[in-house]
Amino acid sequence: MSDDVLLRATDVVKNYASRRRVKGLRTLNTAVNGVSLEVKRGETLGIVGESGCGKSTLARCLVQLLPVTSGSVQFNGVELTTLSRRQLRPHRREMQLVFQDPYASLNPRRTVGDIVADPMRINKIGSDAEISSRVRGLFETVGLDPSALRRYPHEFSGGQRQRIGIARSLSLNPSLVVADEPVSALDVSVQAQVLNLMTDLQDEFKLTYLFIAHDLGVVRHVSDRVGVMYLGEIVELGDAEALYEKPLHPYTEALLSVVPELNDTDAPRRERIIISGDVPDPSDRPTGCSFHPRCPAATEICTTEKPDFVELRPGRFVACHHPRNVDAVAPTT
Amino acid sequence: MLRFTIKRLASAVLVMFTISVLVFLIFFATPGVNPAARIAGRSASPQVLANVAKEFGLNRPLPIRYGLMMYHLFIKQDLSSYVNIGDRIIPQITAAAPITLSLIFGAVVIWLLVGVSAGVIAAKNKGKFIDPLVMFFGIAAISIPVYWLGQMVLLVTQGGLHTSIFAWAPNGGYVSLTQSPWQWALHLLFPWLTLASLYAGIYARVLRGELINNMNEDYIRTARAKGLSERRILYRHALRCSMISIVSLFGLDVGVLVGGAALLTEVVFGLPGVGFLTYQGLQNLDLPLIMGCVMYGAFFVVLASAVVDVLYAYIDPRIRVVA
Amino acid sequence: MSREDHSTDAVLSVRDLSVSFATRQGVVRAVDGLSFDVGAKEVLGIVGESGSGKSVAMYSMLGLVRDANVSISGSVLFEGREILGLSDTDMQSVRGGEVGMIFQDPMTALTPVYTVGWQIVEQLRAHNEMTKKAAYERAAELLAEVGIPDPKSRVNHYPHEFSGGMRQRVVIAMALSCNPKLLIADEPTTALDVTTQAQILELMGRLQATHGSSIVIITHDMGVIAEIAHRVVVMYAGRPAEIGPEIDVVRSARHPYTWGLLGAVPRADVKSRRLVTIPGNAVSPLEVPPGCAFAPRCQYRMDICEQRPPLRGAHDHLDACWLSDEQRLVIRSTATVRGVS
Repeated sequence: MSDDVLLRATDVVKNYASRRRVKGLRTLNTAVNGVSLEVKRGETLGIVGESGCGKSTLARCLVQLLPVTSGSVQFNGVELTTLSRRQLRPHRREMQLVFQDPYASLNPRRTVGDIVADPMRINKIGSDAEISSRVRGLFETVGLDPSALRRYPHEFSGGQRQRIGIARSLSLNPSLVVADEPVSALDVSVQAQVLNLMTDLQDEFKLTYLFIAHDLGVVRHVSDRVGVMYLGEIVELGDAEALYEKPLHPYTEALLSVVPELNDTDAPRRERIIISGDVPDPSDRPTGCSFHPRCPAATEICTTEKPDFVELRPGRFVACHHPRNVDAVAPTT
Repeated sequence: MLRFTIKRLASAVLVMFTISVLVFLIFFATPGVNPAARIAGRSASPQVLANVAKEFGLNRPLPIRYGLMMYHLFIKQDLSSYVNIGDRIIPQITAAAPITLSLIFGAVVIWLLVGVSAGVIAAKNKGKFIDPLVMFFGIAAISIPVYWLGQMVLLVTQGGLHTSIFAWAPNGGYVSLTQSPWQWALHLLFPWLTLASLYAGIYARVLRGELINNMNEDYIRTARAKGLSERRILYRHALRCSMISIVSLFGLDVGVLVGGAALLTEVVFGLPGVGFLTYQGLQNLDLPLIMGCVMYGAFFVVLASAVVDVLYAYIDPRIRVVA
Repeated sequence: MSREDHSTDAVLSVRDLSVSFATRQGVVRAVDGLSFDVGAKEVLGIVGESGSGKSVAMYSMLGLVRDANVSISGSVLFEGREILGLSDTDMQSVRGGEVGMIFQDPMTALTPVYTVGWQIVEQLRAHNEMTKKAAYERAAELLAEVGIPDPKSRVNHYPHEFSGGMRQRVVIAMALSCNPKLLIADEPTTALDVTTQAQILELMGRLQATHGSSIVIITHDMGVIAEIAHRVVVMYAGRPAEIGPEIDVVRSARHPYTWGLLGAVPRADVKSRRLVTIPGNAVSPLEVPPGCAFAPRCQYRMDICEQRPPLRGAHDHLDACWLSDEQRLVIRSTATVRGVS
């Protein structure tokens, strides 16, 4: 196993029992339907998708907050899915999370200083004095005044609380930070501050990010590589710039075409591809390719055969019988 | 919906069974106590004790004892009191039931009218003087114990003012509806008002809170944006949504009352209902009677709970999907 | 702009609107001197972040602010008629009948215990003389118009039986049911996915053309503004920072706050570069400084900014900033500020 892959997921599946019944048998809610990906050391892998696509569930499965139904998750070469809670603990320190809701992810009854110190105390890292000084350092790193240590979360704004959440995630010096919609709840100008902070921190602390969001602009901005999720599956994965400029999967293409864009130049707009209908129920998957009922390019084979997730070009993966822009993508690097 | 109803009733039956087992175990399987002595009453002769032991199979295994008890209670319906020798339990309960129902019926009408109106008035005038005034009366009504209130009512109507204003007020007791409707209502008037006071207070406060919460919901803002009158918004939108929680509260309250929880009111006003019967049983330590009343009460609570769940799903269309 | 300068042919003409709340900590000026016009068949976008007063402004115009401690001043003409200060009863016939509104979260916008048909019919019959039968037929027609499949049977469905995007279509159908001249949309697509958002924006554009109504769309997303708006009002701290045709504001923005806003948005359509950040935090409505509200965070701050700048400019493009055109030219040539091209 090569050293530059920090996290490797192979065929991760997460199913829930659904309330729906078909012919008397309970169907399965296939929240994550066989995802394979690699997160390389030092990179930012962005996962983008609309609500209900399973990206948050996938994130939680990767860091073992949720048990996977099947599949393997290897971190630093170690298989995580078979470890007990105790065995998992040392690995947990290396993977930290930043959550979406700055108002719900901080315990309102703890001071912010305690919130950032807690991971170190729980893992018994350092003396009280060392922890204190590290907490101060972290506050400064994220751009907050260390004198605010004794205050409570409700005394801070949304953007400041998100910084506190980031400080907390850094307290154990992790190698991987999984950020689940970290800026969605923030105003535009605050969002920019937090995103810039995260990129700065990545350089300073040599972090690897798994960045999950639904905002296509945000994901392009932070990511080196991007994976697009639809109904529990990754339909396309590849270099961020290449994916955004020349998407391979019809869903990616349609998504990018309908993002509202600023018309500040006369450059021609992408042609609008408006997908009709709604996302299907994950407990009632379409046959063959999951996207075929809504795909403008669907044919007979798409209804019967599920397309494989293949590396069509070096570094560019797609699961589609009729990928787009194939000629435009260079066949060899 | 049908599936949900069936499932709910089935689970109600299961709960009843569990309660019957628990009641049985409490009375008959408490270690260190001789059940025979307790059933037979305080001053029972050895002969009576032996009879009891035989009848209830006290030297047989537990499940058999349970079975015998249920058999006597439900099938043969000849469970009889040993304290008041020979009095059968079941007929006593069935005779007392209509009285309790009469009491509850009137109280329900009064408390719903008063409680809902008070809640609406308080919510409509939130912040103005009348709001805390109504809430004050509400909390006063909740805080005053029913037995005290009942005694005070009797004191006032039967005491000094009996000759003047309250000459018409009867001194407790019950007159059946078939005998004389007018007397029936007259005898129940003060018990109705007394029992209703507690619940009117609760419902006024709960409804006020629910209404105020619902008036802040997004769909009320949409209703305003549609240009509807405030009156329509309050009654057709906010109140309708608030009734959902009132209904579930109501169902359980009625269920508990039918099962005999109006005990204190019945005793104070001398109404021989199920509550009064239970009270007598407790005073005399008449075990079979107590058992009968407990089972009777439990049955209605479980039934009411099941009915409320089904009604809830009927009123709130969202619940039907989940069910 | 002063009160006397009301535009006579505008559908909505707002002058000097101010909305203040008396709170225990002092007077909060949520809206402070807002003026703009909305022409016939025009789409006006109001953009700002939280606390900018964009929603409060529109709600207060229609009497939807129910706080007892509010005081509203200014002049708002709807089709030439003053609506600020109307009695509740008169306002009720304007709301829903002449001005339609749609809100942000479709999941909570409809009363859960009545069918969607019932709710549309309720609005129709509140403003029109109609039989129930005729109203239900019209409701089904409206559902068809907004693209809900099988409208005749869906009319009898409850809100929870629709998805988020479908519910927003129902809300739009309801708002347009009485053919209003003006539709106010408060963050109509913020709670929706990008693909659903595209569907809804396309629907709104189409309906606007067929019904001939004007739209005021409130949003924090400049991209949405660029998609659908003809003109834009940029708000900061309850005040207008910049007003003008959408294309001018996006391509030649004049106010430093607008530059900051445009530069802070990560783009999906161009290669990313470092995001512009506006230093500091949004001003608290209790601590608005005298003079220009944006001055504490502005890198082009001058002494004169201690006086509140008036809203002024050439043609249709106004801004509330003391920077002169010459100064802007200098900034343009030296900085890589978005929108200052």
